[in-house]
Amino acid sequence: MREDDHSSPPKILILATTSCAYPGADATGQAHLSYPTNTFIMNVPSPAILPEQFYFDCYDRGIGGIIVMSCGVECPFEGAYEQLAARIDRVSLAMRERGIDQGRLKLCAICTVCTKSFVKAVSDMNEVLAAQEVA
Amino acid sequence: MPQIPATVDTLIIGAGIAGLQSALDLAEQGYKVAVVERLPTIGGAMIGLSKVFPTLDCASCITTPKMAAAAHHPNITLLTYAELESVEREGEVFRAQVVQKPRFVDEDLCIGCRLCEYACDTEIPDPYQGGYSALRAIHIPFGNAIPQLALIDEERCILCGKCVNVCPTDAIDFTQKPVGLELEARTVIVATGWKLTPIDAKPQYGGDQIANVISPLQMERLLAPHGPYGRVLRPADGRVPDSIAYVQCAGSRDATLGVSYCSRVCCMYAIKQAMLLSGAVPMADITIYYMDIRAFGKGYEEFYRTAEAMGVQFIKGKVARISEQDNRDLTLRVERIDELGQVEERHHDLVVLSLGMLPAYDPSRLVPLEIASDGFVATPRAKEAPCHTGVEGIFVAGTATGPKDIVDTIVEAGGAASEAARYMRSQDQVAVAAGSEAQ
Amino acid sequence: MSESDKLPTPTPISTPSLTPKKAVSVQKPPLAAAKNDKTSGPGIGVYVCHCGGNIADVVDVKGVVDQASGLEGVAIARENSFMCSDPGQSMILEDIRAGRVDRVVIAACSPSLHETTFRSLLVRADVNPFLVEQANIREQCSWVHHNHEEATAKAATLVRMAVGKARHLKPLSPVRVDAAKRALVIGGGVAGLRAARDLVGLGIDVDLVEREADLGGFVSGLDRLYPDGEVAGDFVERLVSDIEGDPRVTIHRSAEVRRVGGYIGNFTATIASGASSADQSADQSADQSADQSADQSADSTSASTSNVEVEVEAGVVVVATGFRPYAPTRREFGCGRLPGVVTLPDFGRMLADLPDTASSLEVDGRPVRSVGFIHCVGSRQLEGVHKPPKGGTLNKHCSRVCCTATLQTATQLRDRFADVAIHDFYQDIRAYGRGHEELYEQASRADVIFHRYAGDTPPKVRKAPEDDENGLLVNVVDGLTWGEELEIGVDLLVLSVGMTPGDIGTIIDNLKLATSADGFLQEVHPKLRPVEMAVNGVLLAGACQGPKDILESCASASAVAVKAAVLLGKGYVELEPYVAEVDSARCTGAGQCQEACPVEGALELVEEGGGRRAKVNPAICTGCGCCVAVCPSGAINVAGWTLDQFASMVEAITEGEEVAS
Repeated sequence: MREDDHSSPPKILILATTSCAYPGADATGQAHLSYPTNTFIMNVPSPAILPEQFYFDCYDRGIGGIIVMSCGVECPFEGAYEQLAARIDRVSLAMRERGIDQGRLKLCAICTVCTKSFVKAVSDMNEVLAAQEVA
Repeated sequence: MPQIPATVDTLIIGAGIAGLQSALDLAEQGYKVAVVERLPTIGGAMIGLSKVFPTLDCASCITTPKMAAAAHHPNITLLTYAELESVEREGEVFRAQVVQKPRFVDEDLCIGCRLCEYACDTEIPDPYQGGYSALRAIHIPFGNAIPQLALIDEERCILCGKCVNVCPTDAIDFTQKPVGLELEARTVIVATGWKLTPIDAKPQYGGDQIANVISPLQMERLLAPHGPYGRVLRPADGRVPDSIAYVQCAGSRDATLGVSYCSRVCCMYAIKQAMLLSGAVPMADITIYYMDIRAFGKGYEEFYRTAEAMGVQFIKGKVARISEQDNRDLTLRVERIDELGQVEERHHDLVVLSLGMLPAYDPSRLVPLEIASDGFVATPRAKEAPCHTGVEGIFVAGTATGPKDIVDTIVEAGGAASEAARYMRSQDQVAVAAGSEAQ
Repeated sequence: MSESDKLPTPTPISTPSLTPKKAVSVQKPPLAAAKNDKTSGPGIGVYVCHCGGNIADVVDVKGVVDQASGLEGVAIARENSFMCSDPGQSMILEDIRAGRVDRVVIAACSPSLHETTFRSLLVRADVNPFLVEQANIREQCSWVHHNHEEATAKAATLVRMAVGKARHLKPLSPVRVDAAKRALVIGGGVAGLRAARDLVGLGIDVDLVEREADLGGFVSGLDRLYPDGEVAGDFVERLVSDIEGDPRVTIHRSAEVRRVGGYIGNFTATIASGASSADQSADQSADQSADQSADQSADSTSASTSNVEVEVEAGVVVVATGFRPYAPTRREFGCGRLPGVVTLPDFGRMLADLPDTASSLEVDGRPVRSVGFIHCVGSRQLEGVHKPPKGGTLNKHCSRVCCTATLQTATQLRDRFADVAIHDFYQDIRAYGRGHEELYEQASRADVIFHRYAGDTPPKVRKAPEDDENGLLVNVVDGLTWGEELEIGVDLLVLSVGMTPGDIGTIIDNLKLATSADGFLQEVHPKLRPVEMAVNGVLLAGACQGPKDILESCASASAVAVKAAVLLGKGYVELEPYVAEVDSARCTGAGQCQEACPVEGALELVEEGGGRRAKVNPAICTGCGCCVAVCPSGAINVAGWTLDQFASMVEAITEGEEVAS
């Protein structure tokens, strides 16, 4: 089993908000759209709960890319999105300082019916990761 | 036998989605409810559907939580495979006579393991799969049926005894007899539902003669992931269809059938099935012959436009006749209202008749209430009290008052529960007032 | 630390004016022993569902089960063709009752479908309902992947993640809030009136807020109602008399809801009464299709001056604010530009005002010999054909009531004026309801001449030359005469205008209510929870949710009442337990959490045990976690969503992965 991991593409962690992006991922499934299997969706009420260190721990453990799929300004938690956006900015800056490709972190808004945007976000991240592998 | 309380607050007739929703809304307020269902499982018509418009949720995924919630609710008693004999008013209450039909399987002993079903050699048509596959003479109705109890088809069982030999709990009992029950209830909710227009209602469509002319409920099963073939095939020869037609109003808006009303759901189910078909058989052309597209509910017009954009063809025209060719394809004689009224012969290899909704049966035989001229339960003050029969203490939910879709059915079921609860509270207040006056 | 130390004790809450005053408590979880990790208790049961073939056709379920059974903390792994069915549930129930497992991972469809199913299963098994975690191997695996091997490997990882999280699950209990058995009903139209009557009938007192001086909303301005032709005024009067004088209903007329805040069981609203409604006249003149439609009322935004402000409490808020009739632009069919072009409600009023003895209808002093009705004005709009209003969107939806309302008006017109020619320009006649088709037949028998136009070629209207017989000329490509282009003279053209979302103003912002693509308020789910908003305790009645006729508005109002009775009947409401919890032992009182907390009153710093400690009000806390991310000492977590759970899931994903450089 494990041997395969060397050849498999880097893993993508998707933080999907309970009220928007997670149902959006479900809708993508209900529409029977297709995307690669290196994607792992974690349901989170608001990604604002995760501290900066969480992201670095992920990269350290071998996560290739992180897509934070939020509700954007539709966030049901008052004021949480603004804090999340600011945090992602800070993490991104710190990534540059640490020599981690900033493309490996992406914040986007995915709503419950954004099936195509969902697939696109995944393929965009895979492109970033593939380019990095080549490099 | 389950423990049947002799007295409940509300007797609900029918355990389809309307009856279950009314039951849950009352039970959650603390009222005791008994639901009588003539079929061996609850869930009604909805549990047999594939996906439902306009959200395309899987019907089973919406229905099973409500079925399970009702089945496990401490305030709800389900009487399945039970026939209501009569409901009579007796002073402030109603007295109902119910006959529990024999399953020939002891309900307390059966564990739903299906060993009997696997042992049985006698095959009978499976009504749940549109008649396209077989059940055994002893069977559990279907996978997500509630309750999960086996029953024996009395007429077709050959009494070979194989089931008796394999049953691990000795639950099989050929001596079971119908059991009469008496229930007392303060209120009644009629949720007797609908049935499909018979497929042979219009002989010129050949519904009962031509195998590739099917009913929409049969198509639902062909589309369901756990359907009879696991995919969409023509019933006549198992071929994958290339060209599928829907004939709208095949049983509604037709005074010659005695059904002058619109059945309200046929446009949307045809569009929905067309959309599902374009996923299931992507190469097939799908044509809908219609008079008016009635996409009136929330999100329905948008759904219709999506189907159009997906390539479903909508032709305004009247289908006069359907005939079968030697290769079992079909010829439709169509008057093209959109093309100078010319009459065309058009060819398809599978036709779905968009049949309408008729009342499932006439509850006025059993319950003291009025039936309107359309055959459905009368609601004399329909505008402000759509769930009131006009008879004190008797309320009505869902398609018992006429065709409607699932959304409207569920909302009205809440309305019926509201009316019943309000009535019982006012009864209680009168009783309290009378009590204090007496003192 | 014992379990009781960690749980906040019941606390009375002191809050700003728009926040709760009720008692709030967190119950001690029913299971005495806190099974905080997989080392105590029997262990985790993993249950993998085939979902018929939905999962099993792509994922090797047996392979997933095999891999799961080897995971740390897993006591048992099993499969079933429908885990949500009774046999599937019974299997889990038996394992729990036999003491084989004490927490559960379900690998099946999305939790949005069956999380509650499995929670209640655990309750039946006497296990805390929060000790279940779902792995979504259908929507997020078998339905989006096609390679069997890869999909199976991914499903196994998703299960591993869920098991990782399950190892850290703790029993949780709902936050219990005392609930006011009162409802705030916003809008005194048909839906609001009917909701008020049913609510008091179910033991819930009502504050009914109506923007106008009179109750009845949009319907009170109509002439006759379909399908029975009842006079609108009589109907409204009946609904009003049901609640007027009832001591359990407080009616606030000429009033608006200025602010509303709080949460289920415990809303507080400021109602400004005695307001003079400035935009009443604007709405009335723009009114909508005749007859049947629901209520249009109490928009809370009118530029009014108020005399009195009162505060009311409510356990639930019923939004019954109705709709706004579509106001045609001057470009559309010459409305407001050409004489003799009116909307359907305007025409209804014309008929109502006409003396019974009138022998003819007149427009601008000329006799009306021919009347046209155009359907779908402001409904079923198409991209590229219609123009959206500035900053607005197209009304793509069907307005549901206008077809039958038009037919009803046309037959009524025929009853009164036998000689008038009547033309009906439509796309599809949507006479769907009970008694509607009969009105259609009646209109056909009454010599109403139907012309079918296609959505992308609506009729064109122009002023007729002076010497013409009629005042207006309508050009239509008529699908019923095989695409012939007809020119039809009419003296009066009636536009069947559709319904558009009402302006709900401050309520929508205050309560953060969601709207659907058509702009109307969005229910949680059209079938599972059709009259509830995502905001707990906010219910929807009538046409604010989307076009509805009177019957449908009344049905939804009744359904709202029963839902309110279910929510408030016990006198308390149980809320989700996902709120922030402070570990006082680790809290250093640094205060970043309070700065980060976006919800007023949810987190405060208090003196405790000789130092400052963070303290959470569980009734107000939304569980957003902003405090968690900034705590320097890791002292705060949101119950049910702890950081160690997230870390554990990431570990599960990367297990065996090489550490990235």
